[in-house]
Amino acid sequence: MTLRRRVLGELGTVYDPELDEPITALGFVGCCEVSAEGDVSVRLRLPTPQCAPNFAFLMAADAQAAIHRVPGVRSARVELEDHYTGREINSAVARGEGFAAAFPGETRAELDELRALFRRKALVAREGRLLGSVPDPSSARMRDLSGPDAARCRVLRRALGIDASDDAPAFVRGDGTPVRTDELGRFTRMARLTALSLETNGGMCRDLLRARYPETEREEVAV
Amino acid sequence: MYEKDGRQYFVFDSHLHFWDASPANWVAGQEEYAKGWIECFHAYQSLGPPATHWSLEKFQKYSIDDFEKDVFVDGGVDVGVFQSTYLKQWYTNGFNDIEHNADLLERFPGKLIVNGRFDPREGQAGLEQLEADNERYDLKGVKLYTAEWRNGSRGWKLTDDDARPFFDKCVELGIKNVHVHKGPTIWPLDKDSFDVSDVDHVATDYNGELNFIVEHVGLPRIEDFCFMATQEPNVYAGLAVVIGGLMHARPNFFAKVMGELLFWVSEDKMLFGSDYAIWEPKWQVEGFLDWEMPDLPEYSDYPRLDEGGKRKILGLNGAKLYDVEVPDSLAPTEAEAEAALPEGAVGVE
Repeated sequence: MTLRRRVLGELGTVYDPELDEPITALGFVGCCEVSAEGDVSVRLRLPTPQCAPNFAFLMAADAQAAIHRVPGVRSARVELEDHYTGREINSAVARGEGFAAAFPGETRAELDELRALFRRKALVAREGRLLGSVPDPSSARMRDLSGPDAARCRVLRRALGIDASDDAPAFVRGDGTPVRTDELGRFTRMARLTALSLETNGGMCRDLLRARYPETEREEVAV
Repeated sequence: MYEKDGRQYFVFDSHLHFWDASPANWVAGQEEYAKGWIECFHAYQSLGPPATHWSLEKFQKYSIDDFEKDVFVDGGVDVGVFQSTYLKQWYTNGFNDIEHNADLLERFPGKLIVNGRFDPREGQAGLEQLEADNERYDLKGVKLYTAEWRNGSRGWKLTDDDARPFFDKCVELGIKNVHVHKGPTIWPLDKDSFDVSDVDHVATDYNGELNFIVEHVGLPRIEDFCFMATQEPNVYAGLAVVIGGLMHARPNFFAKVMGELLFWVSEDKMLFGSDYAIWEPKWQVEGFLDWEMPDLPEYSDYPRLDEGGKRKILGLNGAKLYDVEVPDSLAPTEAEAEAALPEGAVGVE
């Protein structure tokens, strides 16, 4: 496998924190160049110039870290294109600095709390799609779940410090507490709405990206 | 009035703009942002039917004649509300400030309502401006855009201490409709700026005094909006972008989002808004009247929207909030008025 393929593969592990989808599948990787010496240059592009700076920063910083994880990479440069805070984000990511350094005086903390909040939403949304796959969700265990949504649930649970082992309850609220039988009706509605919200936003982002960069379909970097 | 298949509908468009985003109005040094903003809006227009797309040049600045034809003649809008949006950091004379919008009031008497705005970061001067605007235009509503940049600040929240005098002033002046539009930036930047919990707080504090219409149903946080709106009697869903951005481009998502809104918010608290000139009203009104919840299993437990519900959303709900008189012939029929509340109107503990 070429180094470029491996870099793209690793970029596929970078998720849009708000939409819970890989940036490669969303078409956000506009360009990926890899030199024979292992110097990597990636350009990210988002659906609007006003996409929220905090999520944009997370994707750029995560992409930078992902590229560095690939053996054979000598240097990595990630640049966010056409974004209204692109200058601030690009220079902080290039220096390997955090979000607070990108926007001095405009933040109170790094983005861990924001990321956790959206991981909790993503977990509930994924569970919403899995609720119908088992006969009794309140007694189901992690081992009863299968498929890509279940795999992603495990990743999200581990990242949130929620037990993801086979014996753990399959359906938990965002804070990790298991969903009781009497809560199931309401949880189902809330989880389904959360999933719809993420999917709708993902759809709108794709449509806007295509309007902004009409060549997206053609150039979308497949993994 | 919109006429379809021999039936007539009262159309209250709760979200209109008459903007000037042409290069002549860009602030020197801020061109990149002014250009990016209007091009972003233009991309949204591409989510509507291709026959309704405009060139970027026309989209940057359209004429009063365009407005009249698109909104009143073709769109059948009976009464519309201008949601003034300033963005003076980027646009010299504002994107569509109150004076610019008000130019059209005299041209179309009785057809347009102009909403004001406030920004708590302007302090006492802002309060005085709000009073002056009210004096001049007899305001019934304000549009708040919390992500607006101002002197190095990238936004504000409705719960900020300095916002309270402004809400109190709205109560005092009888400005009862507060339209809230969340945007991408706010201090501190590490928080989710689309979060609607601040609306929740002020809606509770001002219940019975102010109505809060959350524009674009809180997009991209539909779930947070629904969980909040179901608990707050004075919180309404502004459908701009839901119809324009989804009905044509993503009909399945549109049906599900409508289903969720009908369930959590109810047809009594949803307001049509075209968001003109992002999208022309005509195709939205027509498509909405034609629309039905798909008869498929995955949509089976969503409430249905009948003719009476469509009348409410398209015009009667908005007319009620703005004390606009609806001609008897277009008011709900007795049967519609007597129809039971939608089953979706539930409370969440």
